[in-house]
Amino acid sequence: MSEMAGKLFSWVNSRLPIVNTFERHLSKHPVPSKVNFWYLFGALAAVTLIIQIVSGIWLIMPYSNTEEQAFSSIEYIMRDVDYGWVIRYIHTTGASLFFAVVYLHMFRGLLYGSYQKPKELVWIFGCTIYLAMMAEGFLGYVLPYGQMSYWGAQVIISLFGAIPYIGESLELWVRGDYYISGITVSRFFALHVVALPLVLIALVFLHLVALHEVGAGNPEGVDIEEYLDDDGVPLDSVPFFPYKVLNALVAIGVFMTVFSIIMFFFPEGGGYFIEMANFQEANPLVTPEHIAPVWYYAPFYTMLRAIPDPLGGLIVMAAAVAIFFIVPWLDRSKVASIRYKGIYSKIALTMFGVSFLTLGYLGTVGVTEIRKTMSVICTIIYFSYFLLMPIYTKYEITKEVPKRL
Amino acid sequence: MQEKDKTRRKVLIGLTSAVGLSGLPFVATPFIAAWNPSAKAKAAGAAVKLDVSKMQYGQQIQVAWRKQPVFIVRHTNESLAGLDLSLDKLADPNSDQIIEPYKGLNPSRSKNPEYSVMSGVCTHLGCSPKYHPEVEPKAWDASWKGGFFCPCHGSMFDIVGRVYKGVPAPTNLVVPPHMFEGTILTIGEDKEL
Amino acid sequence: MKINLNSPKYLVISLCIFISVFFVNNINSAEGGPCKDYGECDEFKYSLNDVESLQRGASTYINYCYGCHSLKYSRWNRVAEDLQIPEDIFFENLVFDKSIKPGDLMVGAMSEESVNWFGVAPPDLTLVSRYKGDDWIYSYLRAYYEDSSKQYGVNNLVYPGTAMPNVLLSLQGNQRLVCKDVPVIARNGGEKRDVSGNTIYQEKCGFLKVEDGTGKLSKEEFDDLIYDLTNFLVYVGEPIKATRERIGWYVVFYFLIFTALSSLLYREYHKDYNK
Repeated sequence: MSEMAGKLFSWVNSRLPIVNTFERHLSKHPVPSKVNFWYLFGALAAVTLIIQIVSGIWLIMPYSNTEEQAFSSIEYIMRDVDYGWVIRYIHTTGASLFFAVVYLHMFRGLLYGSYQKPKELVWIFGCTIYLAMMAEGFLGYVLPYGQMSYWGAQVIISLFGAIPYIGESLELWVRGDYYISGITVSRFFALHVVALPLVLIALVFLHLVALHEVGAGNPEGVDIEEYLDDDGVPLDSVPFFPYKVLNALVAIGVFMTVFSIIMFFFPEGGGYFIEMANFQEANPLVTPEHIAPVWYYAPFYTMLRAIPDPLGGLIVMAAAVAIFFIVPWLDRSKVASIRYKGIYSKIALTMFGVSFLTLGYLGTVGVTEIRKTMSVICTIIYFSYFLLMPIYTKYEITKEVPKRL
Repeated sequence: MQEKDKTRRKVLIGLTSAVGLSGLPFVATPFIAAWNPSAKAKAAGAAVKLDVSKMQYGQQIQVAWRKQPVFIVRHTNESLAGLDLSLDKLADPNSDQIIEPYKGLNPSRSKNPEYSVMSGVCTHLGCSPKYHPEVEPKAWDASWKGGFFCPCHGSMFDIVGRVYKGVPAPTNLVVPPHMFEGTILTIGEDKEL
Repeated sequence: MKINLNSPKYLVISLCIFISVFFVNNINSAEGGPCKDYGECDEFKYSLNDVESLQRGASTYINYCYGCHSLKYSRWNRVAEDLQIPEDIFFENLVFDKSIKPGDLMVGAMSEESVNWFGVAPPDLTLVSRYKGDDWIYSYLRAYYEDSSKQYGVNNLVYPGTAMPNVLLSLQGNQRLVCKDVPVIARNGGEKRDVSGNTIYQEKCGFLKVEDGTGKLSKEEFDDLIYDLTNFLVYVGEPIKATRERIGWYVVFYFLIFTALSSLLYREYHKDYNK
């Protein structure tokens, strides 16, 4: 029996590179031996993606994408479907934590220069994933067809209207109706459950293939490929299995603990994960008193509000995301890691982080005069971090990077 | 590596895997349970009540319970008396081969001798048999004593839903849970069960 | 102090500060309070394991509210089951329309025409505790006062100009806005005193007071009634809330154990390359 299985396996293996691929990309894949917790969020993002896909598939089954039933089908899931509430809360909590994990993952990139040569493509695929996630999150938020779904979508789709000449007809084309109706919901549904997940999976695949080609980084910014052993394996590396896997397992444990605390005790996240107004069915005639985006879009929403002109706001908001793509060419530093960069880089990154969080906070609260000024200041700091990067990274004094990890 | 460390690793691997794997059934539970009939489906599939006193003798009506046809027949004395005539044609006259709570109850197989209540789904491949109460030669049976004939594959049942020998259907028509409160028939619920 | 961005400590601390700022500045409280003229909403603490409270709340709801406000996402038999009321007793005493089947949705008892009585259709209240919050409901139902300028002779501090009459008037009694002398609060937060040390009083208006003897219930009894009603609405807003919190402990406990074990295992293997 086992002989048969062995023969079958070698038959397949000589036609499909199972063992090779497995060893090259998983079991024996060399990863830097000294990394810190910042290097775990990538694995967590992958775990969350899987969680979202599985829970999403299960939500498609009872969900109804019509104007009349979209909202009530969510309550149907929450009440009538056995354990439907578990599946829905997994998906809502997962959505927020997906963004949390990805934001931390991206910050790691800025912290340790994970975009520097030769990792430009890894970075660009990552930025594209983030872009796709933003679209995916937005489309998904419209599906329950609550008040926030409706008015959030109203605001975002109106942005298309700000585009000169084609704006208005583009808006109408996106909605397919004169308001955000069942027609809009059902096309968003198709994009949310089929089109964008396919794009996301493809991008994640490319992100990983590119990463495995150039090798994972480390907080020291040391190129471990410089010192190899007799087999050509970097001296400062360990095989992915079991070392990296075990490390990720601990991270998954911590992550799932946080996940379940939120999911079982604070599923609405104080109104930040599921907004209160979204428990009311969409009403195109009544705007809720307070419109705020979900927290993960809040920084960009604040920028949009900070600019008095809709088209200007749209451009700034789009630029805020787009600028991430060119970071590999903005950083002129000789070193990758913040540990060896100069004081200007450290100050710039800290200010960037603070301004990003402040922008996020401002996006969830109402507008006052002082908050408006703060939004403008933070937006300027946000862009300065990127636009001044070629200057401060080139002229600051950096420290010597060690040869080995 | 020291022997002590090796054992420690083995124990830890065992414990971690055991805890990890023990979580799997719990993770799977909501996903499996979500496929059960929902409260909405259960409400739609709730018991059906109807008054059968207005039925004429020999009449058959069809009601939907859980969106499936259920046949109710009000028997005449003659047709009940004629049940024994075709006994030798039946494959399982006493419903010995199936598990059902109304086994051996009245000749009509229901809780009221005057009525038969049976699922209108052929036990062969799920078509709905037709009611042919007339005692007269039929294309499918020259000595037809009245009963149900399935147009799909030619299965035959007598007027209380018992299957004939030599037809594709393997078993008698199923008798759903039911009860009579006076002339009110409830299909889908039996307080005595 | 040297800030080491690589240390997890700083990330955790700064995240904690940030999150706490976020949650203190709750969406509602940041916007001048949802309870309007009432000021701060009264705090409501649900107790979904107090089945008797839920039963009383359900009874109040069905007797006083259900005539106009449906609970259209909720099913009769689910309420009976969750509130541990035997189905036959439940249907005998609380379901007035005998054509209703156990699994039916609680779609309301109001006919189409009567919708126009109030100018607006009375909203469905299944999810009111989720979009308004329990504090709001608890405050709102106790904040009616006499106001002859309004259609039904009443107004509400929490929801000025509310379209709903005070259906619980006979229980609560006539509530009026009164003025009374209150101590003046000094800048330091204490009571302001005059030179001889006596507290300075000042007349302030807008306090709710029930006229003695006009209601069937005392103030405490009425507050309890509203407590139970609000508690029921919290239940109906999310029927699995109590279950969710109960299961949550087990799940969190499980993941803590898993984390502990996997971290021991990781440390063990970590020794291989980090001696």
